Amino acid sequence: MSEIMENPKGGCVLAGINSVLSAIHRTCPVYHSGPGCCMQTTAADQGQSGHKHSCFVSGVSIPSSNMLEKEVVFGGVNKLRTTIQGAVDIIDADAYFVLTGCTAGIIGDDIVSVTNEFKTKGVPVYAIETPGFAGDSSLGYEAIWNTFIDQVIEPSEEKDDKLVNIFGIVPYHDPFWSGTLEEIDRILSKLGLKVNTFFTKKQGIETIKNSSKAALNIIINPWLFKGPAKKFENKFNVPSIRFPGLFIGATDTSEFVREVGKALNLDSELVEKVIREEEEYVYNYLAQAIGVVSWKRFAVVADANNAVAFTRYLANDYSFTPVLVIISEPIYRQEDKERIIKRIENLEYANPPKILFLSDQYEINEAIRNEEKEITLLVGSSNDREVALEKDIQFINGAFPVNERLIFNRTYAGYKGSLTFTEDIYDNL
Amino acid sequence: MAALMSLEDSVFISHSPQGCVGCAIMAVDMYRVGQAHRGIKNIKNPRLIVTNLDQKSVVFGGEKKLKEAVNKAVTRYNPKLCFVYASCASGIIGDDIDAICGELQKEYPDTLIIPIHCEGFKSKICASGFDATFIAINKYILKNEKVEKEEGLVNLFAPTTVSYADQKEMERMLSLLGAKANYIPFYSSLEKIKKIPAAVASTSICKVFADEFMNTLWEDYGIPYSHTVMPIGIRNTDKWYRGIAKVLGKEKEVEEIISREHERIEPLVKSIRNRLQGKRVFICGGTGRSFAAAALIDDFGMELVGLETPTYDADAQIDIEYLNGIHKDFVVDIANMQPFEQVNLVNRLKPDTFIGVPDWAAKLGVPTTHVLDGKRPTMGYDGLLFLGNKIADQLENPGFNKKLAKHVKLPYKDSWYNENPFKYITEGGK
Repeated sequence: MSEIMENPKGGCVLAGINSVLSAIHRTCPVYHSGPGCCMQTTAADQGQSGHKHSCFVSGVSIPSSNMLEKEVVFGGVNKLRTTIQGAVDIIDADAYFVLTGCTAGIIGDDIVSVTNEFKTKGVPVYAIETPGFAGDSSLGYEAIWNTFIDQVIEPSEEKDDKLVNIFGIVPYHDPFWSGTLEEIDRILSKLGLKVNTFFTKKQGIETIKNSSKAALNIIINPWLFKGPAKKFENKFNVPSIRFPGLFIGATDTSEFVREVGKALNLDSELVEKVIREEEEYVYNYLAQAIGVVSWKRFAVVADANNAVAFTRYLANDYSFTPVLVIISEPIYRQEDKERIIKRIENLEYANPPKILFLSDQYEINEAIRNEEKEITLLVGSSNDREVALEKDIQFINGAFPVNERLIFNRTYAGYKGSLTFTEDIYDNL
Repeated sequence: MAALMSLEDSVFISHSPQGCVGCAIMAVDMYRVGQAHRGIKNIKNPRLIVTNLDQKSVVFGGEKKLKEAVNKAVTRYNPKLCFVYASCASGIIGDDIDAICGELQKEYPDTLIIPIHCEGFKSKICASGFDATFIAINKYILKNEKVEKEEGLVNLFAPTTVSYADQKEMERMLSLLGAKANYIPFYSSLEKIKKIPAAVASTSICKVFADEFMNTLWEDYGIPYSHTVMPIGIRNTDKWYRGIAKVLGKEKEVEEIISREHERIEPLVKSIRNRLQGKRVFICGGTGRSFAAAALIDDFGMELVGLETPTYDADAQIDIEYLNGIHKDFVVDIANMQPFEQVNLVNRLKPDTFIGVPDWAAKLGVPTTHVLDGKRPTMGYDGLLFLGNKIADQLENPGFNKKLAKHVKLPYKDSWYNENPFKYITEGGK
């Protein structure tokens, strides 16, 4: 399912898959596609994610079969075979994944039989048969995890009661992904947990293979990963909890910590001690700049995960006034929309904002343009800057796509991230 | 897409799955930065609509979606121009964008609806897309209509990657010849495109940009043109300048200007030459820039050891012959980047410096300088100084790359560096 869209935020399925593979240590995507797709898909996610891209292979360094007219007519499996062989010969990766471009998908090339030739020789080459036109980057995130569950993760009877898997933070499609995962890792480690983020700490294909040993899958996202979570639980007997949105600041982060503690039956004294320490750290700083950031009536345009986080922090923790929240990624299931609305509307003191689900940039611009209430702060993507400039609203480029800043390990999430976010909101005007 | 992105009063419709507009990101960024450089405060997004072909469209065709997208474009923006881009998917499923656009044109007479045939599988070279663009402009906008000539008007065709600083330098140089530039297609408009046939001459900043179109303009409108080189470095800038001056009948004037410019910059070039003399260089870039950069290094007395360029044709051979005359022995790699070939060659040749996209050479510890900088000056006499100082400064202070190389390994196996870099070039592309 797809809609006509102006200035779409993100790429196709291949972009989402490529983003995940790029973030896993020593993993090599191989494209069976037209000549532009490597660059297109890298540009669509990594290219708009604060200018950071995979150091291993990305864009033009990704092996591709470069299907031209000849392959469209006669099929491209021979070219795919030599492309994989070349990749295996010269690229020092632990695993290779073959992605299906629109061309290969439409003409119906049999990719699995080619990857099987390599597998029988003991070379770890896996096929992903979801073609580009099947959906967007978010679907790509689920498609690659389905591939891991079906083909890569090894079953394990033994569980490690301190090991957890983190899902729902999509590399590159969330520009702050590495910093966010590092912050989550830092907090959970203080609870004595071992954390599979999969995309930091040089975790690679071995971590994925052994992820079935985890005691709990933690999904940090209000809607993504429903199918894979169920599949993961059925196949590997790992239950999951869903925290319905990313967390910024003491209130939501502490709620998250308590949820994890409850799910894993952790010592509540330890949980409360960690929360106390972290909250003290945050408030020690907040107390040193009271009234410095002027009061704002704000709007947010972001993917659901970040929209929840921005809105709840600014409203609950910083006492700003929420006016309008636009969820700018396509979400199709009604239950998901309801979960998102509930999380955003359920604020402690503030009145709930107007919530819209719009992915088309024209419609987003019109919604902000025609908003009757005054907006003095907009947290959004590079695409949303135009309307902020037009309406002279203070603008924070805090959501994907991010073209106007360089992001390494910066995050707005968690305890420490909330301070960074607050720093960034400050303007001396 | 990149070629047209900055046109005024235009909507761009990509008849494709969502991911295909990924290619536009760099152009979108350049467009936004370009507006900032031009002093525009309220920076706009380009109006880019994707029809988002999906599984259903692949089976039933995408005609309905395309019609809906054009309808949205017209209702929202009432644009003068609406470009419709084909994609791999639309091409293979057989959507007839010409016929659909023809039909839509009758429905929306105030918007010029222009299909562009840029199915991705048609070519590995993005410059083919530039040609497709100009073919469409000629067929749907100019339509062989005769317009009144405008004295001194010169079509100046420039690719995406030309910065505003470079645009101003080129316009300054043309104005010294008494010419007024019709800068196409960046930050131009339907009106400026329609003025193309009114020009008395054409020239291009890039060798592979509008080269065929300029010839078409000669055939259809009798507009003479100059197709020389990219004006990077003294020799190339002189050559480019003399080329257009000759077409304008200003040979005498241009020599005076050139000698004046030389007098101004030669002492400055000499001081850069003192820093770069004899240094060995590897160059990688687009067709225009790579050859231009190879000529440029001669201004600084540098020695070419390797050249990576995406296309090869008779035109490229002229450049290679020219370089053969200056440099003793250098490797030419015809490759659209192909980083694995590049790192093998760079590791083998051990140049003192690398000019081009720095991603890979930097990790080998080689000092690097980027030439594809669409945000800062590169061209003309002043661009030369900027570029020269940049190369010299980065060569003399290579700490970042040296330390980076100690910490980061490229993805290639050690054994690859001992293989023939051209091992994977096979007959017939097997």
